Amino acid sequence: MTATETMPAVAGRNRFFDALAPGGRRALFVLGIIAVCLLFAFPVLWLVLTALRPGYAVYYVHRGTDFTLDNFHEVLSQEIVLRALWNSFAISTLATVLSLGVTVTSGYMLSRFRGPIPSVWFSAIYVFRCVPYVSWVLPLYFVTRALGIFDTYWGLLLPHVAVHICFFSWIMKGFFDGIDPSMEYAAMIDGCSRWGAFLRVALPAAIPGLTALAILCWLYTWNEFLFALILTAQNTPILTVVMAQFVHELGMEWHLMSATAVLSLGPALIVTVFGQKYVIRGLKI
Amino acid sequence: MAEVTLSNVRKTYPGGVAAVKDFNLHIADHEFVVLVGPSGCGKSTTLRMVAGLEDISGGTIAIGDRIVNGLQPKDRDIAMVFQNYALYQHMSVYDNLAFGLRNRRVKESEIDAAVRGAAKILSIEPLLDRRPRQLSGGQQQRVALGRCIVRNPKVFLFDEPLSNLDAQLRAQMRLELKELRQRVPTTSVFVTHDQVEAMTLGDRIVVMKDGLVQQVGSPLKLFRQPINRFVASFIGSPAMNFIEMALAAEADKFRLAADGVAIELPQARFAGLGPHVGRLVTLGVRPQHLRLGRARNGEQVAFSGNLMVSEQLGDEQLLAVRIGCGDIRVSGVDPELALAAGAKVDLAVAIDSLHVFDGSSGAAIR
Repeated sequence: MTATETMPAVAGRNRFFDALAPGGRRALFVLGIIAVCLLFAFPVLWLVLTALRPGYAVYYVHRGTDFTLDNFHEVLSQEIVLRALWNSFAISTLATVLSLGVTVTSGYMLSRFRGPIPSVWFSAIYVFRCVPYVSWVLPLYFVTRALGIFDTYWGLLLPHVAVHICFFSWIMKGFFDGIDPSMEYAAMIDGCSRWGAFLRVALPAAIPGLTALAILCWLYTWNEFLFALILTAQNTPILTVVMAQFVHELGMEWHLMSATAVLSLGPALIVTVFGQKYVIRGLKI
Repeated sequence: MAEVTLSNVRKTYPGGVAAVKDFNLHIADHEFVVLVGPSGCGKSTTLRMVAGLEDISGGTIAIGDRIVNGLQPKDRDIAMVFQNYALYQHMSVYDNLAFGLRNRRVKESEIDAAVRGAAKILSIEPLLDRRPRQLSGGQQQRVALGRCIVRNPKVFLFDEPLSNLDAQLRAQMRLELKELRQRVPTTSVFVTHDQVEAMTLGDRIVVMKDGLVQQVGSPLKLFRQPINRFVASFIGSPAMNFIEMALAAEADKFRLAADGVAIELPQARFAGLGPHVGRLVTLGVRPQHLRLGRARNGEQVAFSGNLMVSEQLGDEQLLAVRIGCGDIRVSGVDPELALAAGAKVDLAVAIDSLHVFDGSSGAAIR
């Protein structure tokens, strides 16, 4: 499409917007933002409402005024939910720490070095990203069983770390691409080894990106369902899977499921609120 | 303080691209050498090989008595200023200056003295607590210089340090660099693509093209006796005029002729032209050497043409004059002189300031 073809459309849109009084423009803008916010907040609001309703009232959440905290009391009194909360937290945190350790160095290698090893590594990541996510689950199931780590921390942790490394090495490469390599050269001349220049100059400069990535990593594992469903059983309950188990042969306990979901929102919300600044700064790099 | 010697240094990148071919240079103690050339001529690669940031494909580099080919950059006792300053963004100016000394485990009290000393020399004392991104380009450049002098290394390396500054600041930093040199006389290698920087800063200039050294010499020598057409065109601003001409011999004169231009040169003064009779040569005339007016016989040769464009610079005018075979530039014309476009212009130039180059190889004929 040429520039001349697109011009009239842009001009037309501007004319409409300009024709509004300044107050009208502002009102339209605010309305638009509210609409978008509602659209995104609605499912969460509904979830919170459902979590606060007694079991018999979940099917007409918009009617009635009986609210209760019993659902939370009930799920928190179930040992499996508490274990799942802890397991999800531990695995998310461990996966973040372990994968970032590799992602940072691998992203740095992809950004700074040329040669056969980075090319092969890059191709491997590319191939991984081309294959549908779901198709890794069954092979991973067999591998974890064969290794004897099925339904253990390691059995879930290692696949997650592998996924993170592949997905986030690219993003990390982008962060390092945005950092001028001459800073590292200066450090090397100033007395650092190649490794020292990475640790003392490149890495501190990448902290905002790294923090953003840590948050994304953590949230990814915290919310992940498919791997958790297939690669764990009774020994290592994971929050997302436990949540789904409120749907059983006797019916669906929406109120309990919602209460667990609201509980699971908590840590994610805390991480997001505190990390928002870094995520935005990191994505700007 | 040290000498730097590059012997038969080569750099070939994987894939066979030869960035530097057989580079030889001896840099004396305290000498300031400028490597200059167009983009991709290998000047930065050469500097980075001296720094140890690039491997050497062949040859040897010595700093002082020590061959440094296999040494890490940190072990070469050099300091380098980069085009974009390369300051450590997450550290204060003070820590930037102290970084190199801390790596060498110098005592904190000595570091403090060295940092404050360097800051004083460069007038950046009030900036020591700031972060690099809070500084202007010129201030960042001073911090980068400070990071070099604080370590008191054997050699300073400069990789186009003034390129990111605006024209006015660049001129000022050039002066500051010269002044700094007088205070801190250290062997220096300076890379630039700007011939003005090369001419003003260098004790000696190395002109490079396509990975090869074209000529090494003092600024004046390069300006007055360029070894080939490339050096002649690269050094000097505005650039030298070139006119392709056919060379013929007549009695005691050589006759150079092109479309609409013919000049005669005495054989006695241009003996080197003899073997080139009957071939094409390139006449080189610097815009600064052309004067308006008729030629004095014997001492000067004449061109005439029509004025195409004049550019007023305030203290002089630059003219573009179309002579039969092309346009030639004239500089240093009286700014008060009113010239109409298309007017006939007579130009004269002293025979001694003419350059003649081989028509095919471009080598200077003397």
